[in-house]
Amino acid sequence: MPDVLMPQLGESIAEGTIVRWLKRPGERVDRDEPLFEISTDKVDAEIPSPEAGVLAEVRVREGETVPVNSVVAVIADEAPGGGPPAPAIEAAGPDGEPAPARREAADASPGAGAAPPGAAAASAAGGEAGRKGRKSSPLVRRIAREHGVDIDAVPGTGLGGRVTKADITGFLEQGRTSAPAAAGAARARQDAPAAGLRVVPMSVMRRTIAEHMVRSRRTSAHAHSVFEVDYSAVAAIRAARKADYERQGVKLSYLSFVMKAASGALKAFPVLNASLDGGDIVYREDINLGVAVALDWGLIVPVVKRAGDMSVMELSRAVQDLAARARAKQLRPEEVQDGTFTITNPGSYGALFGTPIINQPQVAILDVGAIEKRVTVVGDAIAIRLKGHLALGFDHRLIDGATADRFMSHVKRALESFDADGV
Amino acid sequence: MANAFDVIVIGAGTGGYPAAIRAAQLGLRVAVVERRPTLGGTCLNVGCIPTKALLEHAHALKVAKEAKTWGLVLGDQPARIDMAQVQARKDKIVTILTRGVEFLFKKNNVTWIKGSGRIAGPGTVEVTGDQPRTLTAPQIVIATGSHARGVPGIEIDRARIITSDEAIALREVPKSIVILGSGPIGVEFATVFKRFGSDVTVVELLPRLVPLEDEAISVELEKSFKKQGIAFRVSTTVTAARAEAEKVEIDAKLPDGSSATLAAEYLLVATGRGPVTSGLGAEEAGIRMDRGYIVVDEQFRTSVPGVSAVGDVITTGKPGHPQLAHLSTAEGIALAERLAGKEFRPINYDHVPKCTYSDPEIGSVGLTEQQAVERGYDVRVGTFPFGVLGRARIANETDGLVKIVAEKKYDEILGIHMIGPRATELVSEATLALRMEVTVEELIRTIHAHPTMAEAIGEAAHATHGAAIHV
Repeated sequence: MPDVLMPQLGESIAEGTIVRWLKRPGERVDRDEPLFEISTDKVDAEIPSPEAGVLAEVRVREGETVPVNSVVAVIADEAPGGGPPAPAIEAAGPDGEPAPARREAADASPGAGAAPPGAAAASAAGGEAGRKGRKSSPLVRRIAREHGVDIDAVPGTGLGGRVTKADITGFLEQGRTSAPAAAGAARARQDAPAAGLRVVPMSVMRRTIAEHMVRSRRTSAHAHSVFEVDYSAVAAIRAARKADYERQGVKLSYLSFVMKAASGALKAFPVLNASLDGGDIVYREDINLGVAVALDWGLIVPVVKRAGDMSVMELSRAVQDLAARARAKQLRPEEVQDGTFTITNPGSYGALFGTPIINQPQVAILDVGAIEKRVTVVGDAIAIRLKGHLALGFDHRLIDGATADRFMSHVKRALESFDADGV
Repeated sequence: MANAFDVIVIGAGTGGYPAAIRAAQLGLRVAVVERRPTLGGTCLNVGCIPTKALLEHAHALKVAKEAKTWGLVLGDQPARIDMAQVQARKDKIVTILTRGVEFLFKKNNVTWIKGSGRIAGPGTVEVTGDQPRTLTAPQIVIATGSHARGVPGIEIDRARIITSDEAIALREVPKSIVILGSGPIGVEFATVFKRFGSDVTVVELLPRLVPLEDEAISVELEKSFKKQGIAFRVSTTVTAARAEAEKVEIDAKLPDGSSATLAAEYLLVATGRGPVTSGLGAEEAGIRMDRGYIVVDEQFRTSVPGVSAVGDVITTGKPGHPQLAHLSTAEGIALAERLAGKEFRPINYDHVPKCTYSDPEIGSVGLTEQQAVERGYDVRVGTFPFGVLGRARIANETDGLVKIVAEKKYDEILGIHMIGPRATELVSEATLALRMEVTVEELIRTIHAHPTMAEAIGEAAHATHGAAIHV
């Protein structure tokens, strides 16, 4: 019977969470038919069945996280005589330890606690390799599992940062009494949901975003600079070329122009295309532009690689493709990695501008505000111009205000006198 | 001679001497003031070490007395103990070990100052004795320990009415002895003297022997004592004791309210140990005390800045700070690290192992079943008898059991209680399990070597989850 493994979607991905099983135990499944949905700290994905057959056994419950290459299910050959084996759910816990539920069920006889053969494989694949850096104890892992807490989110006070029972019970207690900022605290509150409250555990993506945002705030010295840009020149080019683009199946958006202008400015000011590594400044040769894409269920930042070498047409096409696949959960992990600078576009929802949080380990993020006709002074006359704000969030540790403003004025100039030849 | 140090430790017992060595290792200049002529304090001189020496002799005699069973040919005379040789060997062991501490002091540049230390003011210790002198240091550590303490109505004359201090040095085997108190000291001496050939009666105020242990341990010990012919009276109060030339008469109030008089050659008072603070100048220095004990916080700070205290002499404000050599050592080391500016790591008093070297031995750590219930845990327990084990059969030590106290929600191990062969060694596994927050499941999956006494722990873990393999 072939095992179904937690796939490794990218080199740096060590574990995945089963979000949903698309088949029930005992159900038939075709080869390459979607079998389950997973969520990793990078992307969400639908995983197809490796074989045709009957889903004989589901080893990992929805919501549980297991290391990559752990056995998550077993597909049996279709055996008309014997029928599918009895489905056995919850055979193994998330980190290769026996699941509590099973053990409780086997209370009367610890002999029954012996894992089925497949679970041993899961156990071997699990173990320490799959765990992140945080040290804990069997008891802490047990409590964490019970409450759906990510141990990495619990501050450890033991030797070498080991998470102790006191740490995790304190963490849970805190989650009960204060705002459930921490992962899993929401689920901990499910123990006793008060009337009028709906308690839902955070998704992996939500937790990842939450952790990232807080970490970024803690890491970088955020400062912001806001410029107003006249898009009249861009609008003229866009009007002239839009139809042409559409014939090639590409939507020519203002965003692509901003991307193009930003790439040029990043070449002129490479410190904004850098990152900090301890005491070192790491300059990136490639300009890889992350573009924030809002999803119904969260946010993802696919990356346009080597954007510095791309035309407006290529940029438009790349963004369109990445955004569409992000919404269809079809991004590959490498497509959300290695960004060097990020552009976010709250203006598309009408925001004048935002004060964005930097996408670590980058050092700057450009926020595109709403582009609309505004009354403006031209010479000594009042005129109507197509204008919008650009806000730069930058890490003041590395980037001085003057540098940030010179970068922004470079972007502004590029947009206001856009070179139509390249479009 | 230099009189200025970074740390002055008063008392060279198992709290003081490791504190001194650790502080010196971390670069501090350390002096230790000790009034005893040898280092090592109660434990090495008159406590753990000599009593365990006696118990080992008792065990050797036990084996010799069972010579026929073992196929040992020892001649026609029944085996008996030679107290002179016992004392000589015991004294030699004590000397080797106290000298060992002396060596460690030299090796680590800890200055041993002979005499009695008194806190004379902030950062000042006055030493009286052969060479009076005044020492100064920004940090003073009180590690003066404890002494055997009597009970009201009984005057300890150290001839017929004695404490453990005299009991370890007896040159004769008492024909009969009454032991007041059934804590570790009481039941250990009961074991020693019974094996040596005395008539032994243990009197306990509370309803069971070793009342601080889990009840299952008491039940097992009482069974074994009955088997061995060690008499005991529980729920019995001794109201008076009269020493005469050749014997002691003891008035006791029995559980039914009636009075009785017991007579024996000796009365050993083993009801507990009190703090040593006389002549220390602690009260005059303004240090907060509680019934003679020095009050300290979690980091062993007294109420006076620059003065800390560890070991038997302290109270942490909560009842029942255990008086145990290994705990004093742990406290001393933790304190020394704080004084040297290292991170302080508090001690978890639920994870302190307790050992009683009676026959059978007792080793326990963590909460008893009753304590666990009182703390509100949803408790489940598992027990396993030693008698089933091959190794126990081989050793002819089949009394006793291992009992695991766990809780159901997270499978946490709350306490492990053992009575039986090698229980005082096995308790180390249990202590590690508690310290590392191991679940019962993990303990089940920990492979226990065969044939060993330790198999009882693995089996008890199985039993906690339902059923052991071998019962």
